[in-house]
Amino acid sequence: MTTTAAPGGEGVSATTTSARPHHEGLAARRALRNARIRGAVFLAIGVYAFYLASSAFSTPASFLFRFFNTGQERFEIATSVGLLWLVSGLASALVGGLQLWRGAAFRWRPWLFVVIAPIVVAVFGALLDGTTANFTNVLRGSLELATPLTLGAMAGILSERSGMLNIALNGKMLVGACVSVIVGSVVLRFTGNVIVSTTIAIAAAMAVSGVLGLLLAWLGIRYKVDQIIAGTVINIGALGITNFLFLRVLGRNPEFNTPPTVAAMQLPILSDLPVVGPILFSLRPYVYIALVMMVVLTYFIYRTRWGLRLRASGEKPAAAGTVGINVIRIRYQALLLAGLICGLAGSYLPLATAGSFQMDMVAGKGFIALAAMIFGAWHPIGAFGAALVFGFADSAQALLSVLGVAVPPQLLNSVPYVITIVVVAGVVGRVRGPASAGQPYEQG
Amino acid sequence: MRLELRDITKRFPGVLANDRISVSADKGEVLGMLGENGAGKTTLMNILSGLYRPDSGEIVIEGTPRTFDDPAAAIRAGVGMVHQHFMLVPVFDVVEAVALGSEPVTGALGTFNRAEARRRIVELSEQYKLNVPPDAKIESLPVGVRQRVEILKALYRKSDILVLDEPSAVLTPHETEELFSIIRSLAKAGTTVIFITHKLNEVLAVADKIVVLRRGRVAGTTTPQETSRQALANMMVGRDVELIVPKGPAKPGEVVLSITDLEVRDDRLEVAVKGIDLDVRAGEIVAIAGVQGNGQTELIEAIVGLRAVDAGTINIAGHDIGHPSPRMVSDLGVAHIPEDRGRDGLIPYMTVADNYILDSYHNAPYSRRGVFDLKAVSERARQGVEDFDIRTPSIETLAGALSGGNQQKVVVAREFSFPVKLVVAAQPTRGLDVGSIEYIHRRIVEQRDRGAAILIVSTELDEILAVGDRIAVMYDGQIVGILEGESATYENLGLLMGGAEFGVGTAA
Repeated sequence: MTTTAAPGGEGVSATTTSARPHHEGLAARRALRNARIRGAVFLAIGVYAFYLASSAFSTPASFLFRFFNTGQERFEIATSVGLLWLVSGLASALVGGLQLWRGAAFRWRPWLFVVIAPIVVAVFGALLDGTTANFTNVLRGSLELATPLTLGAMAGILSERSGMLNIALNGKMLVGACVSVIVGSVVLRFTGNVIVSTTIAIAAAMAVSGVLGLLLAWLGIRYKVDQIIAGTVINIGALGITNFLFLRVLGRNPEFNTPPTVAAMQLPILSDLPVVGPILFSLRPYVYIALVMMVVLTYFIYRTRWGLRLRASGEKPAAAGTVGINVIRIRYQALLLAGLICGLAGSYLPLATAGSFQMDMVAGKGFIALAAMIFGAWHPIGAFGAALVFGFADSAQALLSVLGVAVPPQLLNSVPYVITIVVVAGVVGRVRGPASAGQPYEQG
Repeated sequence: MRLELRDITKRFPGVLANDRISVSADKGEVLGMLGENGAGKTTLMNILSGLYRPDSGEIVIEGTPRTFDDPAAAIRAGVGMVHQHFMLVPVFDVVEAVALGSEPVTGALGTFNRAEARRRIVELSEQYKLNVPPDAKIESLPVGVRQRVEILKALYRKSDILVLDEPSAVLTPHETEELFSIIRSLAKAGTTVIFITHKLNEVLAVADKIVVLRRGRVAGTTTPQETSRQALANMMVGRDVELIVPKGPAKPGEVVLSITDLEVRDDRLEVAVKGIDLDVRAGEIVAIAGVQGNGQTELIEAIVGLRAVDAGTINIAGHDIGHPSPRMVSDLGVAHIPEDRGRDGLIPYMTVADNYILDSYHNAPYSRRGVFDLKAVSERARQGVEDFDIRTPSIETLAGALSGGNQQKVVVAREFSFPVKLVVAAQPTRGLDVGSIEYIHRRIVEQRDRGAAILIVSTELDEILAVGDRIAVMYDGQIVGILEGESATYENLGLLMGGAEFGVGTAA
């Protein structure tokens, strides 16, 4: 190799330039610093929990669980708030210690659950302040309340994985709710059969929401309308139309607003299991449908040809197009499916909980579903976990307000949004969505 | 398989992109397709790969005329395309990225048979010595490997005709050599390879037959044995061109740009410039060679005040630039020819005249007390158009409507419209035709002889060797060597540009 040093000593030559190894270590040093900060924070949380424990040993905390669906047998975990704080403190200190000991290599995210779960229980105990709480109902409620969010999040995942932003979830759920009530009421009147009318009501809700999904796809793909704006249009339109129907039709003719209702279902054998039977296996069919859908979608997205093509369409549509994949068709398919699922989610609200349609009864659940999708990193199982967290916050808030505990409900209602901001801001590690979501694709 | 394109014509609004083009390639032949940007190479290949349909003419494979309605049809006919910009999903692993679109499946649900796909990929990778890690994520692979994944993609689809569109644009000279040996072994195994490029050396090195395209037509067909660099360049441009601008020896004067210990971060906040020392003197051209993405962009942006400096100092004409603004740097007499003229060089939706005054509209003679003197603007702009031979219908034409070469001339005319002490030029001739390249180089050498200090960044070794009085090589954010212009060759620059094996490793 012939290199000549620059004359006069200015500049540098190949032989005098040295690699600066400290730069290679920059990322590692930053990771180590972050690890130390994280460890210190966990330890501080632990210490604060010990401090709270010291003054709370005299406050009893008792959680009731029903043994069986029928009968009065109960099983009670009686402890004190102080002990709960002590456990929380130990858990935090343990994780903090592990973090400091293992340094940057520590995979801390799964351990976050170990830190947070006891704290949530302790906070709950402290808020109850000695009142006995029925935890069976809280956990049942978490699953039930998580169901429309899970379904909505599944719809969002399908859309965004295909490369289409779908903020119209809320509107589609609202229309689904309204259609299911009207169709269900009419069919129930004529047939008198709850199962038939429920099935037809749900099918109609899914069909109408599916059409709305196709409308969104058509606007975004055919006319390249900004997908946020198209979604907003659908949300506003849905609100306007359902409000009109409620005020002009449903409100004056209550016979259109008396749909069949979906009751909880006792799963054979499983629902007779002690403790878990009432919590997990005596819920409305919607819950099981949502869980099955989570599994099926996970399989389809990550294990099938269609899923591979779906993800390619959302990440880099040009790569899919040049190997002969019809990206446009995949996006239409995804939005149709998402619409169908939204219809199902929307029908849950009147048929399973309220028993009738009310103005804006979706109340932003479509947006919380989007939050669950993001919190769950665009993965069906992750999204279900996120929905469960949001459902728990909702359920806990319901219990606290029944017991008359002075927690402003707005505070707990804001939990999904606060968590989403924390997640999106990257505090709990960065999540990354499909790279091309929201960008129109020009085929051919 | 034997491929023939007969009388292919493709018209876009206002442009005849392909005008009755006929070329053919035999089984196992490497056809080099040479042409400048806009000569119609990419249009022709998009027709061959089914992305466009020709207005007339036909594609004949093994004697059978074929029409391709979409890329899938071309793939079925055995045509595999490696695009200039890689068509790989970054978050997929190699198996997924390669199999996408031709996935082996099992069961009624269409379950992706990953094991089967992986087996075939490993097999092909070994057979053709592509050395591709099947389970690595695409985004974690270096560009040279990504390109081999693209080739693997074509082989996986059993392509008998492989089209490579400007494959060496992102490669180091060493990686380009590897690519050539892969191409040769593919051809030996019977694949017909069409190699599209604008680099003269590359067609001479790898092609069996060379077709030169000019303005949508076939300008000539030849072989490496019976032609030369000069003959090919003349054929490409259609007249005699000078490949190397004549320039006398440099007469270095005082230091105009002095950089010490500079550290700069990129957009992802990673350190991209890792401690650079460099002096550029009046009357000399310092050329920085290196593969794209080794910190050159960030270095240039820091010098002209577009990017914050993390550590170290930049001194321009005796002024230490602390927290510079681009206007401050410009007022010191710095001309900046940016890397991406469409984004940073000019505003396509504004007129030639407006673009001409973009950096000095606020000063006399263009503005007085905040009001434009439109007469002065048009007079000066007209003068600039004349001086720099900018081919434009008028100075009121939108800059975006001009050809690439003329757009670049607008940028250069503006930057050189005031006396400059330092010229900072990034990729000043990217995408330009040979004639415009020659012109821009001439203007830059002229500025040097006037006494300006010149810093040029380029990824094209031809350009580096043509204009550089001193040549610095950047690798991984550092300058790994500085060579005198006369002592620099493709070989020793190539070794330094590959840094990992030769530069940083052995110097440290």
